[in-house]
Amino acid sequence: MPDADLLMPDVDFAYDDVPDLHERIVQLRQNGPVVPVRYHGDRTWLILDHELVKQAFEDYDHFDPAPGYQQIAAPSMGQTIQTMSGDEHRISRGLVTAPFLPSKIRSLVEDLIEPIANELLDRVAGKEVVDLVSTFTRPYPFMVITRLLGIPVEDEERMLEWAIKMIDFPWDPDGAVRAKEQFQAYMQTIIDDRRANPTGDFMSMLVQAEYEGERLSDERILGFVGLLFPAGSDTTYKNAGSLFACVLADPALRERALRSPRDRELIVTESLRWQPPTAFLPRMASNDVELGNVQIRKGEWTLFGITAANADPKVYPDPHRFDPDRDNRDILTFGRSKHFCLGMHLARRELETALRLVFERFPHMVLEKGEPVEFVGAVLRGPRALHVRPYGQREDQN
Amino acid sequence: MRVTFFDINGAAQHVEGRAGENAMECAKRNAIDGIIGECGGAMACATCHAYVDPRWIARLDPPEHQERDMIDGCIDVRPESRLTCQVILEDALDGIVFTVPDSQV
Ligand code: HEM
Repeated sequence: MPDADLLMPDVDFAYDDVPDLHERIVQLRQNGPVVPVRYHGDRTWLILDHELVKQAFEDYDHFDPAPGYQQIAAPSMGQTIQTMSGDEHRISRGLVTAPFLPSKIRSLVEDLIEPIANELLDRVAGKEVVDLVSTFTRPYPFMVITRLLGIPVEDEERMLEWAIKMIDFPWDPDGAVRAKEQFQAYMQTIIDDRRANPTGDFMSMLVQAEYEGERLSDERILGFVGLLFPAGSDTTYKNAGSLFACVLADPALRERALRSPRDRELIVTESLRWQPPTAFLPRMASNDVELGNVQIRKGEWTLFGITAANADPKVYPDPHRFDPDRDNRDILTFGRSKHFCLGMHLARRELETALRLVFERFPHMVLEKGEPVEFVGAVLRGPRALHVRPYGQREDQN
Repeated sequence: MRVTFFDINGAAQHVEGRAGENAMECAKRNAIDGIIGECGGAMACATCHAYVDPRWIARLDPPEHQERDMIDGCIDVRPESRLTCQVILEDALDGIVFTVPDSQV
């Protein structure tokens, strides 16, 4: 493909850290709503405009996500709701939806989410300086998923190794496939157990689910639970980091974070708008299409510029200001339409719970001076690390 | 056509609905608090739940089973619960009344 017209040819959005992503988006926008950039070495269309990203999400004739996920995810993950379309997707999604709906997720806050957050925050307690990402925000959503799946605590470590390896397919295909086989063999024992003795837990809900006369085969359950790790863990932890980076930097926000559940909802939502973990979402065009005066061919890759859409000044005035009180009902952080994020309620309750517990337990927590926070990544974006002092600055350091 | 949204404390907002749009879109266009509709009307997010005034329920087609399943997972569900994205406004619904629940989550 010709590279001559590439904008910012020095950057590859698949590999580079792009710490200045927001500034680059502002520059790119001057060239139109859909612009050619480099991604995995090739020219790729980046969609920047809120209305166009929304429209593309809703356009299954030209941007059906399934064919693209067949290429990039199915080889290591198998068939999942991401690789399906039409009725197959509707029914398969219908079978797994119930455990992710608001009433179910609300009941998980006290029973599952809070205890995990507290357990991890115990490791922050007593420390003078600590990286909040590696001690808290990264393991937290991962543990929510393993405990949701009924995996015993002593096996969490193994599970983490498999989960990391499974998404390593592009770099280590054999290792990824081996990890998937080990993961599936392990999960099969839990499925067998719940089929024999349903307990009402998450896995029991899956094995008993029925939708339009269909039930989930073991293979479908294995594909689905495998998807939960990349979809629900890597995303949520990146956002948790961005959320704390923001709130720790602003005393007014920190004070507000302790005020009410509604205030926490608003702060979390604004952090999701401002620094979405799925900054640019790769999507293959499933048919020829014209978008924003650009001709896109079937099979070409695009990037849905979620971060750019969420900062489109036509929809979000003064977009770089962090303002929890703006109208954020149409942020595109969780996607849009039929493949809209299934775990949105879970992710939000995790983030709101983290926000409350961190500042209840460590009201004086501050960012370590001299360790500036660096946000990295254009596909999955968040702070590399967050060095904090849980008990604030010592007197002699002020 | 007129559409009324009550909040949970009984305060009413009367807005102009457009025939053909759904009640979620109407609520968002008129900045009605508490109707979010983040998935855009695909019954995928469960954040546009509201109560239809019982006097209007009979004039609506009952929910299809996908909507029913989503409603079952909402908070503070009542017999007159609906996803507003599935209520298409039309002239016969001129004057319809909704109450927005305390919270979607
Ligand atoms: C802040 C955290 C999260 C963000 C930003 C996020 C974002 C997204 C986005 C953008 C999509 C749509 C992808 C597409 O259209 O191709 C998606 C889908 C999905 N997400 Fe999330 N997600 C988050 C957390 C979670 C969690 C916690 C879970 C579950 C444990 C989860 C499970 C899923 C699943 C299963 C899908 C596929 C839905 C389908 O294809 O029908 N996500 N997510």
